Amino acid sequence: MSKFNRRQFLHTSAGFAGSVAVMSAFGRPAFAQDAAVRHFWWGNPERDKRTFAVIDIYNGKTPGVVVSGETLGFADYFTKLTTQIAGGNMPDVIQQGYGVLFEYIANGAVVPLDDFVGKSLDISKMDQSAIDAGTVDGKFYALSIGANSHMAVFNTRLFEEAGVKPGETFDPFAYTYDELKEFAAAIKEATGIPGTDDNTADYQNFSDFTVQKGANLYNEDGSYGPTQEIVEEYWSTWAAIRDAGGTPPGPESAALAGVSELSQLGVVTGKSAMSYLWSNQLVGVQGLMQDILGAAVYPNTPEMIPGSVIQPSQFVCLTRDSGNPEAATAYMSAFVNDLDMTAVLGLERGIPSNSEVRAALEPNLSAAEKVSVEFIDRIQGKTAPLTAPPPSGSAEVEQTFERLAVSVLLGERTIPEVATDFLNQAKAILARA
Amino acid sequence: MHKFLRRNFAGYAFLSPWLIGFFLLAIGPILASLYLSFTKYNVVRPPQWIGLDNYFYMFQMDQRFWKALQVTFQFVVISVPLKLMFALGVAMALDKGIRAIGWYRALFYLPSILGGSIAVAILWRQLFNYDGVINSILRLFGGDGPYWLSDPKYSLWTLIVLAIWQFGSPMLIFLAGLRAIPQELYEAAEIDAAGPVRKFFAITVPLLAPVIFFNLVLQMIEAFKSFSGAFIISGGTGAPLDSLLFFTVYLYNEAFAFLRMGYASALAWVLLLIIALFTAIAFWTSKYWVHYENERG
Repeated sequence: MSKFNRRQFLHTSAGFAGSVAVMSAFGRPAFAQDAAVRHFWWGNPERDKRTFAVIDIYNGKTPGVVVSGETLGFADYFTKLTTQIAGGNMPDVIQQGYGVLFEYIANGAVVPLDDFVGKSLDISKMDQSAIDAGTVDGKFYALSIGANSHMAVFNTRLFEEAGVKPGETFDPFAYTYDELKEFAAAIKEATGIPGTDDNTADYQNFSDFTVQKGANLYNEDGSYGPTQEIVEEYWSTWAAIRDAGGTPPGPESAALAGVSELSQLGVVTGKSAMSYLWSNQLVGVQGLMQDILGAAVYPNTPEMIPGSVIQPSQFVCLTRDSGNPEAATAYMSAFVNDLDMTAVLGLERGIPSNSEVRAALEPNLSAAEKVSVEFIDRIQGKTAPLTAPPPSGSAEVEQTFERLAVSVLLGERTIPEVATDFLNQAKAILARA
Repeated sequence: MHKFLRRNFAGYAFLSPWLIGFFLLAIGPILASLYLSFTKYNVVRPPQWIGLDNYFYMFQMDQRFWKALQVTFQFVVISVPLKLMFALGVAMALDKGIRAIGWYRALFYLPSILGGSIAVAILWRQLFNYDGVINSILRLFGGDGPYWLSDPKYSLWTLIVLAIWQFGSPMLIFLAGLRAIPQELYEAAEIDAAGPVRKFFAITVPLLAPVIFFNLVLQMIEAFKSFSGAFIISGGTGAPLDSLLFFTVYLYNEAFAFLRMGYASALAWVLLLIIALFTAIAFWTSKYWVHYENERG
């Protein structure tokens, strides 16, 4: 295909000339001498708006470089990236998350940045912890664009109407599943809307719970960490909340198993008063609703062992397909350092890892952004240590969890049966991967 | 050869968009997928030859493969006959010489154009949601509708209804076939006092058999390949409880969610063989029930 260039094509079939001309007219007006940099991220409407605005600012500031943006929802992002890897046409700059990133580094799709540091790429103001998180085998690969943690968000209006007062009725930074059961049922009683989403099929909550029980999702040898007891206890805990009336009916939650769009969260659809997410998503969710959101940690067991981690939410990385790595890294550098650009990005991708940027943002934070900064401040020192990235096969284990949890929600099989089934399948998946 | 080329150059030049597309975008990838089906390939690393391992795993170990087959067969066996019957029924109603028939034809054909689209799949999800239109109507009559989409007992039926709703193209073909049946046969049958049922089974069905056969094969292949509705309604995973795990959805997941391109290619080839087998069976049975007018016999 590559041997067949446009000129030969025109030569053989002149009839196509017209359509080719039309197609290029629709393309981006780029001049030959301009360096083109493609930036690809997964997003939500709020993030897309901000990121495109930042690209405009950068293009205005740097003549000779044309950055273009591409965006997709999280579910489709990696599908497209995969096909681009196979086709050798990955964008120059891509967004990565903690976990998947390491597979991309191992396979060479993402390349080291060391040659650019101190030249086109400035990391002098970055937190050391953020630099460490993006470093593998002594090479620096990934530029952190924000830190985040697990967060529960609640509809303050519904909580108030039910007389549930954060700080009085429950401590938003330390409360148990039993307390959650009580106030969730109370909210349902008072407002008709269940107090919380049902997390039976929510793998993120399950991973949090596993750490609270003193285990890890993956042991050091890569085997699966949760035990039969942990899985059973997790599902029984949520079954108790559901039976108390604290959550929407099981079949309704079953329909949402594995759905990752923010617009489907209970707090947004109005089907519950509390939902669970990553702290950086608060800004995006608040943008989808009128009622004001409050923030809390995930519920815990009475032992109060921390289950959440603070980790880099996202990175920007340079790909091996980049045709102009100098221009691409210069753009990446501006993305995390330029005060005009970071002012627009705000905290939407998490708390920035650059101290100067944080200080500059402080006075102009929106209400939702203030909530998330305070949240990260409050949980400092109360989180679990960052564990090794998950082994390959982990995405499939997660999908299996979501699938089997549905039969718990529908009451088709007993919790111990499903738990055994899940652990067997998880073992088989990891053995095959 | 040279002469031949010069004489036919213009013809091939005009064919070239299709020829290039066929060799580069169809035959090429098909052969590549045959090769990949004998490899372990996760896209980022080069493919690694593993012989028949993918096929052994599929038939001996993979429970979801069998589940996907079961769901797909269930869908084909139920949706195809219902869709054909519905299409034939509508075609016969429209064959009666109603006024403004062109409008009706266009109207009934519309779902076939829209039906495969993502927008309609999303619309379908809204219709069958617990708080959706269908249940709201049921509630008007005092009923309480089930969770159509999240209950594995009903979820496949929502897709079967979606498939039947796209009856437009078989209907048009039936309509053309009905027009070709000579009216004298019906008149003669009426003189012999044949009722509508008798006329249908003694005249319409046998004379329409080639058209029915054509529609059957086409719709069967389409149903085996059905993807977008199940993909959208199940959120891409075949949920709830794999009740919407169409073969193609499973294949997509293996390929793009878990990056097992080699295994997914093997699945694709198995699907191809299954479709070929069923098409062959349909052709084989056809000699017992399909008779063409110009045949002697």
